[in-house]
Amino acid sequence: MKEANDSEIPARGAYVFRVYLVDGAPNSVCALANLYAICRKHFPDSHRIEVIDVLKEPLRALGDSVLVTPTVVKISPAPEQQIIGNLSEEEEVLRALGLPQKERDSV
Amino acid sequence: MNESKNAATEKISTGIEGFDDITFGGLPKQRTTVLMGGPGCGKTVLALQILVNCALRHHTPGIFVAFEENVRRVSANGEMFGWDMRELEKKQLHFVDACLRPGVVRSGSFDITALLAGLEAKAREMGAKLVVFDAIDVLLSLLDDPAAECRELYRLHEWLATNELTGIVTTKVEDDQPATAQRYGFMPFMADCAVLLSQRVADRVTMRTVRVLKYRGSPNVLNEVPFVVGPAGVEVGSSNGVHPEPQPFNERVSTGIERLDAMVGGGFYRATNALITGSSGAGKSMLAGTFIEAACLRNERSLFISFDENSRDITRDLATVNVNLAPHLASGLLRMEAMRSEAASSEEHFMHIKRLIAAQAPRCVAIDPLSALARLGGGLAARAVAERLVYLCRNAGITVLFTSLLEGVDPQLETTALHISTIADSWIQISYALLDGERNRALSVIKSRGSKHSTQLRELIFSDSGITLAEPYTAGGKVLMGTLRMERENAQRGDGSRPLLAEAMNGDGQ
Repeated sequence: MKEANDSEIPARGAYVFRVYLVDGAPNSVCALANLYAICRKHFPDSHRIEVIDVLKEPLRALGDSVLVTPTVVKISPAPEQQIIGNLSEEEEVLRALGLPQKERDSV
Repeated sequence: MNESKNAATEKISTGIEGFDDITFGGLPKQRTTVLMGGPGCGKTVLALQILVNCALRHHTPGIFVAFEENVRRVSANGEMFGWDMRELEKKQLHFVDACLRPGVVRSGSFDITALLAGLEAKAREMGAKLVVFDAIDVLLSLLDDPAAECRELYRLHEWLATNELTGIVTTKVEDDQPATAQRYGFMPFMADCAVLLSQRVADRVTMRTVRVLKYRGSPNVLNEVPFVVGPAGVEVGSSNGVHPEPQPFNERVSTGIERLDAMVGGGFYRATNALITGSSGAGKSMLAGTFIEAACLRNERSLFISFDENSRDITRDLATVNVNLAPHLASGLLRMEAMRSEAASSEEHFMHIKRLIAAQAPRCVAIDPLSALARLGGGLAARAVAERLVYLCRNAGITVLFTSLLEGVDPQLETTALHISTIADSWIQISYALLDGERNRALSVIKSRGSKHSTQLRELIFSDSGITLAEPYTAGGKVLMGTLRMERENAQRGDGSRPLLAEAMNGDGQ
């Protein structure tokens, strides 16, 4: 599992995500792939993704009030934003991430 | 095969007496129970109470998952019912805040694996056996797809079974629709036990009822049973007949009036009930007071419950007919409780009376008047309450005297508002007899189960020396009362002069 170092301050404007998933579960695999695709497309050099397998760290998900898998939390830039689901509806994801309409259209 | 059959009927007691009665022992162990109800029905309180009771009585730790209400507030509510939440939360009880964050965005499908994985780890860590999912509809609404909602609910159901956990799931339903026509109408089909809580308003008083819709592998009471949320939580007024009937007593209990005792064959039987009916001002309270005084004089603990009149006034009024309750009140032998009839539903009154009986442990109880129960909150409910009160007293070996107002224009129409007369063991009626410009109180025994009773109409006399009945005095086929009787008595003694009133009262029948 790929883990980010929490103490490491990301570059200004960088996108930091935390993904709660079940390793190997179809929706989780799908969500992770979709998130990587969006990151590569929109902010290729300034993103970091932390992955938490809820079956390996069940109490952490409970403590973070994460109820469903997959759940993607955008930690940075503020404000924090929760997105639940396999991210198959890309428009919803982009809107939630606050990506400008123009930028989305240009891609 | 045999093993699975046994598992199906295994139950965990909820610690709520009436609830265990209607479910014949509690909730199905390691199964799912659904509690449904409209807003403010008491679903959360009931679920929390069961969790608290299991922790306290069976030392079974439990987890409370709150999807809607703030967990701190749920815990604070528990404190209000006198449950030591702080102590419980150290080991026995764990709250999970599962309220959805505002602004959460949904994109594509998902499932509740994260929650279940977390709960599984937590349950194992603390040894929890019971999990409450409060307001599961909030979580399901997030799925926004009936098929997915159903799938996730089955996932939950399976998860409980796999982990050998007992689940209580609460969900909202609209009050005016049948449970199965609701959005989550499939829930009762899935669950092993489905319970519907509802509340309705009758005559401005709210009444709550609980009904077990289904119970797999177990009998259950099919009827709607009233319940209240009292100071110690949910109390369910069960009315099934599982309690054994006590042996009938042959002992007699004095009515407090010697001549009335004689009329009913020596007094009321112990652990039976007596009904005294009459119109306003007939003296029903006086008879109730005498009965209670007699009990206190026999050194029996007693309880006098009055509606809409305070204890001080009753004591004062009774003192005018030489019935003195004050010393017994002071010694604690007697407890008087004044209740306001319009302040609560008949069910709440019943629960209150039940608590008073438990606290005072009386052998004799007077309730004056019982008809106050029917004033608000629906006659049918009040009637059921009256009946349960009768059975409660009988089972506890308590002799109880009820008074009831007859408000009919026609005094000949001898019925009571609660139809309590049908279950009354003894029924005494006080009426007014109008004769020759006088209005006298006439007492008759309409019914006295298990004993011979006098069928005569007798004059009831209140004086400052006490309460008594005049000897029956008939002349020309008529019962003579008041002045006519005295005149007749004197004439028979060969003394034409009218005796003094007090003398007549003290010396009647000699």
